[in-house]
Amino acid sequence: MNETEKELIALVLSGRTDAFEPLVTPHRGPLLALVSRLTQNREEALDVVQEALLRAYRSLASFDPSRSLRNWLFQIAANEARDRYRKRAREQAALPDVAGRAPAAANPEAGHDRSELRAGVMRAMAALSPREREVFALRDLEDLDVRETSRVLGCSSLAVRAHLSKARKKLREAIRKDFPHLEEGQ
Amino acid sequence: MKCRKIRKLVPLAAGNDLRPRQARAFRVHVEACPDCRAELEAFRRGLAGIRAAARQEGAAEWTEAEWTALMARVGAKAKEESGDRSRGPVAALRPHWAGAAAVGVLLGLVVMGALIKGSSLWRGAGHRKGLPTTAEEQARPEQDKISVTMVSPESGLQVVWILDKNFEWKGDRE
Repeated sequence: MNETEKELIALVLSGRTDAFEPLVTPHRGPLLALVSRLTQNREEALDVVQEALLRAYRSLASFDPSRSLRNWLFQIAANEARDRYRKRAREQAALPDVAGRAPAAANPEAGHDRSELRAGVMRAMAALSPREREVFALRDLEDLDVRETSRVLGCSSLAVRAHLSKARKKLREAIRKDFPHLEEGQ
Repeated sequence: MKCRKIRKLVPLAAGNDLRPRQARAFRVHVEACPDCRAELEAFRRGLAGIRAAARQEGAAEWTEAEWTALMARVGAKAKEESGDRSRGPVAALRPHWAGAAAVGVLLGLVVMGALIKGSSLWRGAGHRKGLPTTAEEQARPEQDKISVTMVSPESGLQVVWILDKNFEWKGDRE
């Protein structure tokens, strides 16, 4: 954590609420990117980020300055996103026609252009378990290492490696059939 | 390590996420095994493509208006909550004191009620039922003091209330 962040945190804790915005603004991009990957819904991601920032504001006094502020915000946002999809899962479980609805399967006739590949990857990501998606998003898309990922998610490095391995394997299996050129290095 | 075991490690090895000891053993095997090396390279290329596609697709961007509106909402709620807190620590503690006081008063009333009821029942029982009182009982001096002892199960602290026969406060001790 840099000196500016330390100063801004001190200001917020002294009651200067206006210092909160410059504190979190540098992290807004990665925060929204992570949450939108976890929720796969932009509107929901905006709600999650708002709630996460409020939580961060409320618990700023308990923030450990030896940690990265960005990773701490990721942790709060990932927890909030998890709460949301658990709630959604409970609601969907109560609706038999919606429950268990799988993401649309990849179109076998799909071409190999970039937008179709992106759509295929998003479908494959949607098919991952919530934990696998979290681990993949943090490690492979946000470039946190295994230890940081485990800290953000509050689980062991062993668990992170297990979920990461499964997630990568599932994604590869899902993509390989329709986009074999990916592995050919074209 | 054998090829079968190595293949299971490929997903982690592709992102350099093996534990150091596993990574060493993996490297030794792959350097000597062209099939496993080819599998690792293919997995790495696939993973790179998946990462790139997911980064492009999943990276939602803020509009300035969205961010400004969100920060305004967060700021308003934050101020609202700061306002609640700025009433001071006493305000924050009030509910606890209120609860403790209510419990204390309730406990006192229960103890008093039990004492009064017990006393009148004991005295009234003889009169109502017309039971004869023994000479010994008649000779016994009237109890003119009672004490109530309360013990905290957490700290072991004992508080003793001393009251006269009219339940007037005579003192306490710890």
